[in-house]
Amino acid sequence: MFDRFAWSVALRNLRYNLGKTLLMMGVVAVSVTLIIFLGALIGGLQRRLIASVTGAIPHVVVRQPERVPLSVADAAAAPDGPLYAGERIRLERQKRKIEDWPFWLARLQRFDPDVAAVSPVVEGQGFMSRGARRQGVAVVGVIPERHNAVVDIQSKLVTGRFFGLNAGEVALGYKLADEFSLRLGDKIRLVSIEGNAGTYTVAGIFDSGFAAVDGGTIYLTLRDGQTLFGVGTAVTSIGLKLGDIFGADAMARRLALQVPYETRSWMEDNQSLLSGLRAQSQSSNLIVGFTILGAGFGIASMLIMSVMSQLREIGILKAMGANRRQITAVFAVEGMLLSLLGGAAGAVQGSALCLWLAGFRTTASATGRLVETFPVDLGPALILGSIAIAVGIGFLASLYPAWRAARINPIDVIRGA
Amino acid sequence: MDAGPVVELRAVNKVYGNGVPTPVLFDIDLAVAKGEFVSIVGASGSGKTTLLNLMGLLDSPTSGRILLNGEDTARLDEDARARLRLQYLGFIFQFHYLLPQFSVLENVLIPRRIMGRQAEREQRERAVELLERVGLGNRLHYRPGQISGGQQQRVAVVRAFINEPALVLADEPTGNLDSANSKAVFALMREISRTLGTAFILVSHDEALASQADRIVPLVDGRIVH
Ligand SMILES: Nc1ncnc2c1ncn2[C@@H]1O[C@H](COP(=O)(O)OP(=O)(O)OP(=O)(O)O)[C@@H](O)[C@H]1O
Ligand SMILES: [Mg+2]
Repeated sequence: MFDRFAWSVALRNLRYNLGKTLLMMGVVAVSVTLIIFLGALIGGLQRRLIASVTGAIPHVVVRQPERVPLSVADAAAAPDGPLYAGERIRLERQKRKIEDWPFWLARLQRFDPDVAAVSPVVEGQGFMSRGARRQGVAVVGVIPERHNAVVDIQSKLVTGRFFGLNAGEVALGYKLADEFSLRLGDKIRLVSIEGNAGTYTVAGIFDSGFAAVDGGTIYLTLRDGQTLFGVGTAVTSIGLKLGDIFGADAMARRLALQVPYETRSWMEDNQSLLSGLRAQSQSSNLIVGFTILGAGFGIASMLIMSVMSQLREIGILKAMGANRRQITAVFAVEGMLLSLLGGAAGAVQGSALCLWLAGFRTTASATGRLVETFPVDLGPALILGSIAIAVGIGFLASLYPAWRAARINPIDVIRGA
Repeated sequence: MDAGPVVELRAVNKVYGNGVPTPVLFDIDLAVAKGEFVSIVGASGSGKTTLLNLMGLLDSPTSGRILLNGEDTARLDEDARARLRLQYLGFIFQFHYLLPQFSVLENVLIPRRIMGRQAEREQRERAVELLERVGLGNRLHYRPGQISGGQQQRVAVVRAFINEPALVLADEPTGNLDSANSKAVFALMREISRTLGTAFILVSHDEALASQADRIVPLVDGRIVH
């Protein structure tokens, strides 16, 4: 791209002004360190936040839409005038359910390569009791092996089983187990809001890391769930896990056109979290942007000084026959080399900083599971990307000085102007 | 290379200035033959540097034509002129303008390096040879800042010849040196241009030196007087 002449002059200039060169490399290195550090830390924090929201729920849920009857007050506001003002109608409470789920299960699985897993679920509110203690819980009937691909429980087990759960067996969170002083093999009683009841044996206790799940969710088999909630062979929803969790909204929208049920993504239910994350990313981008700008101006001013202190030499090079492209290349190469070397140093520094931070551990929960104190997302894309940004900035910063150098007129130099 | 003049000026006029025009050169006709050693003499302000810059394709005439090796240079753009300078011309100025970050030997080879890697390799031995000839054989890897003023100017002389140009233009090359050094540098320029068959145009205030040229061109108020 640039000829040897430009390279050799650029390299010599950098070596000859070693102090300035190292200083500018330092400035670039600091900005690249900052880009990597902020990028990795904010990426990691956001991943953790998102995981804390999506880890215990399917990314997309397919279910019957909720049909809310009009209240009398709302109906009165209708343009057709008052409809009914008599006795309250007792609506039969009817569980919303999907009868033809086996058909849709297969279709959903094949719908898109990004659909990683599909799991039928019977879900509802119920009461758990043992002796005199009673507590409201979320009861979830699933095929454990299938559901685990959507929400991981198996690897979070503290004791017992999740896979291979038999009829009449349940797996529950360690907090719930603590409150009821439950051990494996103990019996509990569940009553659904529909009024069905059953006695179950504790077969597994898990620590999912999600407080709501550990303190109030009970898993049982799909069959047991169907019985408890009286839905026959139907399920109440189908949960989907996606490869790209941020594709959930788009996936839900596409699915809505193909499936005769409501499709809802986790993103719809977490708008404020997502806009908070966006604001966080933007402010970190702003910081990074200003740092880059600072580094860019630093490089530019150093190169301009370099041009100004070599007006005569550049003029004489031009008199001897160096063309504009060659003179431009000298300073473009200088700018890019500065930022490439500085960027590489910064990448090493930033990565080291991130790896050091990633080594810290804190205890996450009562069961003593260790998690990283600072979640850092350090990937080759971030490292190479920040070096690429640095080189780009170095190139841009060199444009004006290079243009200025190429414009030097040898006559002015000879005349001593 | 044909037998015609290395550089030829036909009815060249030069007027400086945009607002107030300052005419400097008037109807200059001048031809310098291959291998000829010419000196231009004249009072300060008579237009010697202006004339040299025109012949060196560093400046353009207001009217008239300048032919380099028989090629009209009027319509050439900046880069084409740069290419011609690289190919056919060498320059020596009052100040050496050596690059401080390169060694003596590298400075001499800079014009070759501008041409390309291969060109530089070809001339490396010759550069050493020439530097030895001017008494700098033991200073090849010194920086310009580490040698004397006379030595610096000798490096600049060797640099002007390294491309084996058809024409070397020297604007008061000894103006900055004491008389002993002036004589030595002049003798050097003379000798190298003779052995290489290079045409040489010298502008000098030193009449003793100027008078040793093959031909003396007197310039008075922008006109060549015969
Ligand atoms: N850029 C310019 N604009 C206007 N006038 C100029 C410019 N350059 C030179 N001149 C004028 O042209 C005339 C000739 O200048 P030039 O430098 O060629 O003289 P010279 O013979 O080389 O003088 P010296 O022996 O002092 O070097 C001078 O009167 C000078 O003022
Ligand atoms: Mg002059």
